[in-house]
Amino acid sequence: MSTRERVLGIDRRQLLGREVPLPPRALRWATSVVGFFVLWWAAVEYSFLNFGLFVGPVETLVAIYGYVLGDPVAGGSQSIYIHAAYSTYRVVAGVSIAALLAIPLGLLIGTSTRAGAGIEWNNYLSPAVESLRPIPPVAWVPASILLFPVVPVVGFSVNTAVLFVVFIGAFFPILVNTIEGVRNLDDEFRRAAQSLGASDRQVFRHVIFPSALPSILTGVSLGIGLGWITVVAAEIVAGNYGLGYITFQAYRLLQTDIIAVGMVVIGALGYASSAIVQRIANRAMPWSDIDT
Amino acid sequence: MSKQESNPERRSQNRNQDTNGYEDMENGHRDLDEDDGRARATGEALVEIDDLTKIYDPDGAHVTAVENMDLEIGDNEFVCVLGPSGCGKSTVMECIAGYLEPTEGEVLINGDPVDGPDPSRGVVFQSNRLFPWKTIGQNARFGPQMRNAVDDDRIRELLEETGLSGFEDSYPHELSGGMQQRAELVRLLANDPDIMLMDEPFSGLDAMTKELMQEMLLDIWEEEDRTVLFITHDVAEAIFLADRVVVMTARPGQIKDVIDVDIDRPRDSSVLTSEAFNEYQKRANELIHDEAERAMEQKQQETQEA
Repeated sequence: MSTRERVLGIDRRQLLGREVPLPPRALRWATSVVGFFVLWWAAVEYSFLNFGLFVGPVETLVAIYGYVLGDPVAGGSQSIYIHAAYSTYRVVAGVSIAALLAIPLGLLIGTSTRAGAGIEWNNYLSPAVESLRPIPPVAWVPASILLFPVVPVVGFSVNTAVLFVVFIGAFFPILVNTIEGVRNLDDEFRRAAQSLGASDRQVFRHVIFPSALPSILTGVSLGIGLGWITVVAAEIVAGNYGLGYITFQAYRLLQTDIIAVGMVVIGALGYASSAIVQRIANRAMPWSDIDT
Repeated sequence: MSKQESNPERRSQNRNQDTNGYEDMENGHRDLDEDDGRARATGEALVEIDDLTKIYDPDGAHVTAVENMDLEIGDNEFVCVLGPSGCGKSTVMECIAGYLEPTEGEVLINGDPVDGPDPSRGVVFQSNRLFPWKTIGQNARFGPQMRNAVDDDRIRELLEETGLSGFEDSYPHELSGGMQQRAELVRLLANDPDIMLMDEPFSGLDAMTKELMQEMLLDIWEEEDRTVLFITHDVAEAIFLADRVVVMTARPGQIKDVIDVDIDRPRDSSVLTSEAFNEYQKRANELIHDEAERAMEQKQQETQEA
């Protein structure tokens, strides 16, 4: 039982007051996946809306097989691996830079909010942060293309505009969660540490930071999710590589199988990255059963 | 005399290295050793609360939590502060611990004004404040670790005495409430504080566990000489534990009366049924009854205003 179920007292085997036997996990999983494929197939087969123009699940699986073997995609010469690698690298780099900046900044803002904590940095930093935060990250795409050039770095051309959009997408959730993590610490933990002889630095290292860690990692997890959303949007507009680029290129060329394959790969990579973060979080915080 | 002479020096040290209170603690021990140990007979005040007033001003609300309070706590004394909820008991403790600065008056420890929290004044809170991100072992080690002076044998001994050996690698949330409270005591004792400040530490425990914890606390206190200030709203608990019970009024908190509890030590739960205990309990109940009523009225009024 998950924490949520325990708290809410949900027993999922009760339906309309009757006991429903729970089928095995694999069967439940298969039902759901097969159901989705059947719906997809039927929509294409019977031309629901414009679905008749689109590729069906069987063709998609065949196409995936071909691209998995390394066929070039979307009229270019690169395999899907190259494009996936580009998008992945952009998400990892953008989110990493965001985390490197947002976590220290969030810790600074969070710790300085408390009365008597020295300079109240939040007063200087929060207004700018609060006015930029409501802008949806995708809205940054046009400005970024103008502001950030393509820069050659050791033989690779780095599209800094895409990196920036990913960065912006990940920055705010990480920042906000870090601040909240610090602010939510009950003052008595800090006091307990002080009364045990901890200096301010030790209080930060042993109390403030670890207590904020679950929230920080939740922020990083959200940031990666937004990173995948923003990378695709940015690549559609600006870029010659990446999964967003090929899916949109495929639309232009009406290669609907690549559109579908691109979507599947983006979904799979997004899923994999949040699973990795979850695993890292579980390892880093054996005391916590908080789901990130 | 040596104590007096060394005081200014200690105080300046305290200012210079506010991050390292342990130095003070060491010096404190040394001074006392020269005075022939912390003998109960000296009757000297370790904690001196002098005309303490604390006013809170959140958004100009102006709440007087404690007013003109005078109290001396002797070395090795076990003092319980008994009062209705919201009477400023915790405020007194927080001023001694160094979390709050008095609005007026002062708190002196060994003649020195309190200047922030210090490891010689250990604190146990009402809710369990073990660090959830550290194992029981890491929690127990925390105080000594802060000054790189972990004595593994002592930690092991303390964990054994409190029945926690084998749980070093468990996290606090894996333990029962009573075990958590014991672990917090271990964490405190590993630091070897002169004064233990306890703010309703057992109020969240069930009756049986509470009784066992009280007995354990008395054992610990009797074994090594320590001074305890124990805050509670439980009359029986106060009398069972204390040498002196300080009964406080409803807000603004003042001392209503002080009861000297003259029951032989060591005490165990058999004391609870004795006639003397009943007498004390009756008296304390009478003292606190009106105050509890007033505190309740205050609370009601505040709720209505809000």
